[in-house]
Amino acid sequence: MALKVLTVDDSKTIRMIVKKAFKSFDSVLFEAENGVEGLAVAAKEKPDLIVLDITMPVMNGVEMLSRLKSEPDLKEIPVIMLTAESGKDNVMQIVKMGVKDYMVKPFKGEQLIERVEKIVKLGPKKAEEPAEDLSKRYFSVDGDIQVLFLPEKIDRQISIQVEGHLKAKIKEMINSGVSKLILDLSKVAETNMSLIKLIILVTQNCQKSKIYIRVVGTPSMSDELKEFAETSEITIENTVEDAKAAF
Amino acid sequence: MNEINTVDLKGFVGNAVNEVFDTMLSMEVEFSDADSQTTVDGNRIVGSVSFAGELMGSVCIQVPDVFARLMTAAMLGMELEEIEGEEEVNDVIGEVSNMIGGDLKSRFCDSGLPCELSIPSITSGSDFKVESRNWSRHESFVFRHQQHFAVVEVFIK
Repeated sequence: MALKVLTVDDSKTIRMIVKKAFKSFDSVLFEAENGVEGLAVAAKEKPDLIVLDITMPVMNGVEMLSRLKSEPDLKEIPVIMLTAESGKDNVMQIVKMGVKDYMVKPFKGEQLIERVEKIVKLGPKKAEEPAEDLSKRYFSVDGDIQVLFLPEKIDRQISIQVEGHLKAKIKEMINSGVSKLILDLSKVAETNMSLIKLIILVTQNCQKSKIYIRVVGTPSMSDELKEFAETSEITIENTVEDAKAAF
Repeated sequence: MNEINTVDLKGFVGNAVNEVFDTMLSMEVEFSDADSQTTVDGNRIVGSVSFAGELMGSVCIQVPDVFARLMTAAMLGMELEEIEGEEEVNDVIGEVSNMIGGDLKSRFCDSGLPCELSIPSITSGSDFKVESRNWSRHESFVFRHQQHFAVVEVFIK
């Protein structure tokens, strides 16, 4: 079974480096950009390992670790702390917090894997049993149209997952000559900042790659999106069929 | 505080910058005698972190846009044309400043000058300058990687 790893860091750069480090191993990576999100993802996904940054806004790594240790379901999850500070006091503090190990930035992906292998069993990625393709939760193909379906509740974790697959999907579309994308928001129940940011990200990427985009949503969502400057110009179609016809 | 006047800033900064560029970017850098005021001008990005405690101050790294994009590609293991936009570049420069600041903070603490580190902040543009006011020490160091330059400035009191 693939190792579930949660990387919690406010820097997308560091999360990408951690993801790349695990790329050739049998693993599934989850991301969070602060302690609050990290706790939520940990509770939902029950990872086998957490790679946790210390200095983060909203909730830092020290507080997240202390809350993690107070949760019976989560307290046994091994944690590797990342810190930019190698001073004696800092290292002593980290050791006292009960983490399995720590890494001082800067670090290379291989160095992280060396530490991980001392804590959990890490096998090579199995070609015949690829890890779950999370992109299938959101992306599907309907004829010559790529459909990006968003679920009922959009939070930062969903945004990160979609964002993580978007670039590759657009590349696939370009390579296979697909130039239309439908962003299906019909099941999204609430308009929040994660959704707005995601809509902007998708539309900008499509424009950049000369991909035609149509957006599907409910009439109430259409009204709500008009309230935001960035999404006020977007035309919302009522159904996927309407969107197809609008191309 | 006498320690502030005696800490080996050049040694601390040199080690930190070399370590970060070598480990994270696989780039060799060296000190340069070039003028810090004129070496990095035009469109540039500044990543900075602050220290607060017995030692107060900040460290910032200024790099021209072109070098910042090279650094981003190197750190993320991608081609230049794969960089999606400013957000990625800003994040990388912020992380570089965080790592340099983290290393400096450790050296300061180990030298008897305990302090805490802020999260990084980013400024980009062309029509601005970083000024020094009322600091006990303000030092600028220019680093060169091939034909590219970066300026690291430290302000402490």
